[in-house]
Amino acid sequence: MAVSLRSIERGLATTWRPLLTAAVLLALLEVLKQANMLPVFLPAPSQVLNEIVKSPRLVTDSLPPTAYKALSGFVIASAIAMIAGAIAVLARVLYGSIYNLGVILHSIPIIATAPLLALWLGTGPQLQIIITALACQFPVLVGTMQGLRAADERQRELMHVLSASRLQTLRILLLPGAVPYLFAGFKIAAPAAVLGAITAEWAGAERGIGAMMLYALFSYDTPKVWLSVLLTCTLALAGYGFVVLVERLAFYWGRDVQLAN
Amino acid sequence: MLATTSRDIQVNDVSMVFHGRGDSVIALEKVNLNVASGQFASIIGPSGCGKSTLLRLVADIMQPFAGNVRLGSGTPRDARHDHAIGFVFQSATLLPWRTVMQNIELPLDVVGRDSARRSPRSTQDLIELVGLKGFENALPHQLSGGMQQRVAIARALILTPDVLLLDEPFGALDEITRQRMNMELLRIWSESGTTALLVTHSIAEAVFMSDQVHVMSPRPGKITSVIDVPLPRPRTVDMMRTSPFFECVNRVRDGLFGHEESTPAADVVEAY
Repeated sequence: MAVSLRSIERGLATTWRPLLTAAVLLALLEVLKQANMLPVFLPAPSQVLNEIVKSPRLVTDSLPPTAYKALSGFVIASAIAMIAGAIAVLARVLYGSIYNLGVILHSIPIIATAPLLALWLGTGPQLQIIITALACQFPVLVGTMQGLRAADERQRELMHVLSASRLQTLRILLLPGAVPYLFAGFKIAAPAAVLGAITAEWAGAERGIGAMMLYALFSYDTPKVWLSVLLTCTLALAGYGFVVLVERLAFYWGRDVQLAN
Repeated sequence: MLATTSRDIQVNDVSMVFHGRGDSVIALEKVNLNVASGQFASIIGPSGCGKSTLLRLVADIMQPFAGNVRLGSGTPRDARHDHAIGFVFQSATLLPWRTVMQNIELPLDVVGRDSARRSPRSTQDLIELVGLKGFENALPHQLSGGMQQRVAIARALILTPDVLLLDEPFGALDEITRQRMNMELLRIWSESGTTALLVTHSIAEAVFMSDQVHVMSPRPGKITSVIDVPLPRPRTVDMMRTSPFFECVNRVRDGLFGHEESTPAADVVEAY
């Protein structure tokens, strides 16, 4: 308890400056807008806030579907990427193929392929979850593959002298050793999943932040566009923050030390 | 005290070649070394003479280029599969996510908690033995280098190995701890009846611990002399002041440097 209070205190100590900066910028924006010194595509912060106050359902209807798709896509992508990464490291022959497949899938321009995939798979949430998974698999794959190879030579020799099986070596040495690398991957993948879900929703979702963004864009409703941007950022940051929290528990031995090498 | 099946160590005409970029380095040339079952032997030599390589060949971490190694009636691989080899590395090589206690018990996770190989000493006993009482739940990064190395030694003792291989295990320890660990190691060794082979670069340590000291020279690595240490067991610190001890130290020094470089007895003190 005392520890968590102290960490909150420390958190506040490091965040009050950026928070203050943001507040000052927002206030400045507000003043400039009131003075008619900003172009149409930049609404006053109060206008964006007003959208929420006017119809809170904009938030409550669009946030959960997107959050659900982002989370599902993230979980599915992580599971598959971790298994594929483990196979790549255990079966050396497949290492190159799996890595290449990950790169290719990662380099596909989703914005172009999403509508095509929609024709093929329909526009249901499954399609959007698949697209989300495609958008965020790569950092997890790289993290797994790097992490499982991170054990140093002496540690491997120790397991060798103990005559440990491949599975024991994986469980006792390689998997725990991969944890910091995995979380590095998760931290990139979590916001990527949110952006992936938004892009996926452009391909024809009925609800979600992406859908709202698209309607707002086509109807030149700039406050609503900015509201969707705000919601996207919030969701992405929440995902990132959650990963960081879990990392603090899972990577408990690295709090005071640097990542090896 | 224990019904351990100790194994002797036989190294027969072993050569080792490392292939670098373009050129090859002969690390060991026709090395012969025998340690009788239950004996304590050490290998001493300057850096780069191949003594660690020799120890790795005995541990089946590497395979010889020519010649062969036997541990008891089998190969090093047989011994390894029997969990009969204990190895202490130069660096502690702990797993950073495991506490002191979990690191010491790591070998049990591999061989099973009710293995016949398990030492009759409890983990708590071993922790006290290496002077880490109160640090059971500490993580490696919270310990000093010397403390980490002591965890590694306790880890090597949680199983009762037939062959205990020590690669400069006390190099990182301060001299006081080092002497204490040496005494403890000798006591455990005599109780367990295991065959021990120690790589060191301290002349006094080699003599104090061993029944035989094997002196190596570099490029190519070979054993140039073997010095028998006639001191009785159990060894005591007082023996380090006796003339038989100094005689052995001088013979090891002669083996290492040759007679012409012998300097006044003052540096005998410096050796430890």
